[in-house]
Amino acid sequence: MADKTGETPVQARCIGDTAIIYASDYLNKLSGERIERECKRQLESGCRALVINFRDTELVNSIGVSILMGVIDASERNNARLIFSDVNGQTANLFELLGLTRHVSVARDETEALSLITPQTNAAGSTTTTT
Amino acid sequence: MTHQRILANVSRDEFVGRDAELRAIVRQASQLVDRRGLIVLAAPGVGGGELLRQAYDQLFVRRGDPVPIHFAFKRSEEAPLDAARRFFQNLLQQYIAYRRVDPSLGDAQMSFHDLLELALPGDYELVSDLIEGFERERAGRDQRDLLQFCLSAPHRLAATGRRVFHLLDCTQLATPSKDENMLAQEVIASITRSDGPTAMAGLRRQLVELIQGPADGQDIGDLIHLERLSDDAARRLIEISTRRHQIETNEPTRDLIVQQMNASPFFINGLIQAARESKTSLTSFLNCQRLYVDELMGGLIDRHFSRIMDSVAPNPQTRKTLLRVLFESASTGAHKSSLWAWKKRLGVDAAEFERIVDALHVQELVNSSAAFIEVNADSYVWMDYLKAHYRVEVAGEGRALVVATTLLETLKRAPQAMARKYRREAALGLRDLLADFNCQRVPASLFHYDRFAALHKGEDPETVDAALDAESDLLRLPQVVYAAGCNAYTTSILCDSERCAVAHGFEAADYTDENEVVWLAVEIETKLEASKELTAEWCDRLAALARESGFERVRLWLVAPEGFSPEACELLNTLAAYGSSRQQVELLTARIESATKEEEESRPNEYEMVIPMAPDAELIAAHTVEQIARRVNFAPEAINQIKTALIEACINAAEHSLSPDRKIYQRFRVENDRLVVTVASRGVVPASLAGHNGEQADAKGEKEDSRRGWGLKLIQTLMDEVEFERVDDGTQLRMTKYFRK
Repeated sequence: MADKTGETPVQARCIGDTAIIYASDYLNKLSGERIERECKRQLESGCRALVINFRDTELVNSIGVSILMGVIDASERNNARLIFSDVNGQTANLFELLGLTRHVSVARDETEALSLITPQTNAAGSTTTTT
Repeated sequence: MTHQRILANVSRDEFVGRDAELRAIVRQASQLVDRRGLIVLAAPGVGGGELLRQAYDQLFVRRGDPVPIHFAFKRSEEAPLDAARRFFQNLLQQYIAYRRVDPSLGDAQMSFHDLLELALPGDYELVSDLIEGFERERAGRDQRDLLQFCLSAPHRLAATGRRVFHLLDCTQLATPSKDENMLAQEVIASITRSDGPTAMAGLRRQLVELIQGPADGQDIGDLIHLERLSDDAARRLIEISTRRHQIETNEPTRDLIVQQMNASPFFINGLIQAARESKTSLTSFLNCQRLYVDELMGGLIDRHFSRIMDSVAPNPQTRKTLLRVLFESASTGAHKSSLWAWKKRLGVDAAEFERIVDALHVQELVNSSAAFIEVNADSYVWMDYLKAHYRVEVAGEGRALVVATTLLETLKRAPQAMARKYRREAALGLRDLLADFNCQRVPASLFHYDRFAALHKGEDPETVDAALDAESDLLRLPQVVYAAGCNAYTTSILCDSERCAVAHGFEAADYTDENEVVWLAVEIETKLEASKELTAEWCDRLAALARESGFERVRLWLVAPEGFSPEACELLNTLAAYGSSRQQVELLTARIESATKEEEESRPNEYEMVIPMAPDAELIAAHTVEQIARRVNFAPEAINQIKTALIEACINAAEHSLSPDRKIYQRFRVENDRLVVTVASRGVVPASLAGHNGEQADAKGEKEDSRRGWGLKLIQTLMDEVEFERVDDGTQLRMTKYFRK
């Protein structure tokens, strides 16, 4: 759904100092940049871990993937953990092919992703929606 | 259906081999919108004038709306004013003849008074006004005004709403004087100004210049190129015409006549007419050649060429010198001499020299270029005339001796001419085959006799075909842009032009210096496998031709009916030359033909779509290809791969092409075992595209720029075959996914 600026909002929620960001059905330049912006915003606001959930993502393109590299860089600069979750087989193959999986962990689902993150994560989280 | 002959010289059934051209002219008469003319560019003697006359007859009988008006410039020197008056009277007379549905009026001798009386009531005022205007201008005694009035008749007719279809025959204007030339241009301009449909015929080396005049480059209309008749059509003409005149012929003599007359309907009809007059049956070579030599020395052939020579060089001394220069040039190996040598020997001033050469060139008796004049030695008739008349008129030999020796020579030549024809018909047609090369992928074994023999020798054709289908080593042919017989390049290779060919082209249709290539192909005559010595000899000859012609990158291709000996194959491999047997060439030809046919035929399993270069538009393409892939039962994983590859291709097109129309053109073709997706866009092709894409697999630690450009790498990984294809503007990516691989 589009917000006032006409952009589709990026779904995100925080559980303690972990932010979970939900990628849209098509990871391209535009949606990738939105994810990147949201990740950076979460890092600036003190998040120590990021989970990008690809449960809705059916298709990705190379530009979208290249933007994820920027997210990996930003996470490393901020000493934050980055985990991809709910990646479908085709997308996982592409991440593998393009070398992303050497720099980021991939969890089967959100629960596994959270379990991989250190125990400072709060059990109860608040959900926020941002653009 | 019977056809009434009005202006035509021959009956419709004798006018063979020109059905398509005739239909095009008749159709042109009905053109309401396109005001451009139809231009028939005819080789000499192929019947350009008769084509217009046949069209006139058909239009007269058809009774359509535009009134057909046929005008032919005469070959005799006619004063411009006389020609203009004839043009005026012809227009009125044919108009009235058509309106009264009385073809006999078209060429009857009639006064203006007669015409006025014959005009239909509805046309009376128009005809009366035109005749009065003519008389007024004639009385005014200003010849220029009268001429202008005559030429303005089409425009005056059009101004009254009368639709006229002008058929203008310029084929006899081969050697026009300056005045005739100007008049022709004015007539053409007058007809063109009248805004009706038109058709004009003339010699191909002259007509365009006549129409355009000084305004070079303007759109002159649709062109019909009238070439020599096919051998089959010429044979049919002889059959029909001789049957009608009850002249006996047989198959060998018909073939001989076709070869000797170069399939020219003009000369063929002349010979048949002579046979009819002399009551000679054409059942033996001797009878044919006797008649031919008679025609050469004093009949139609003699009159035809003598008339040209007289108009080209009216001065007897110049004509004699011209005959000598022509004969001596024709006698050299290359049949040519320098322009300078010609000018010096003819001894005429520059303007006269230019006129002579132009006239010979227009008649295609010579081919003149900036530096050389080459006598057209392809025509037996012209060569025989030249030789015989040189001997009589210049060398002063006795006529009887010339007749006798010419007859002997033509008789000796007859079997050779026939043998040449048979060889030509039996030849594989390498030039035509090369001309069809257009980046097709063909089994490489078709160019390597050793491999082919090892794999397929002794197999039945179906098995060979199936094995070739399965062959994974494919050779991509170049795109050939020009192919010609090797005798157009050199005289050092003595071989039928059909058996040795030179083809210029580009690898992968990529128009760059690096990809330019010349294929030199020859069909060797040998009954056994070609030996190493014979193969080496031909490789040397072709290499010499390449050196002589300055070809830098060449590919030699030798064809021997039974293939090559093992030693010869070794030699070919050492020289990186190709060698094929006749069977291989036939298989190759069949594959190229079927590929071309397939391309031309409508494809029920082909889908096309155009998407804008807009955000997410590639998703629409991806969903489309998904639907197509589902229909042919691709596995879900493969479908995703195809979709992703297509998305990447679209992104590449949008990012790299600087496309002027911002569109991406896609084609999805389902073939027997594969889906072929092509993605094309207009615009520039980045030179480094291939390198830029696909090199960086591992992105981490790379700069932002290099993180992009993974598209081609992805595509190559996801699809089975990926290839950039050069197109005229922009680029085209072809991606193939096999159903099971």
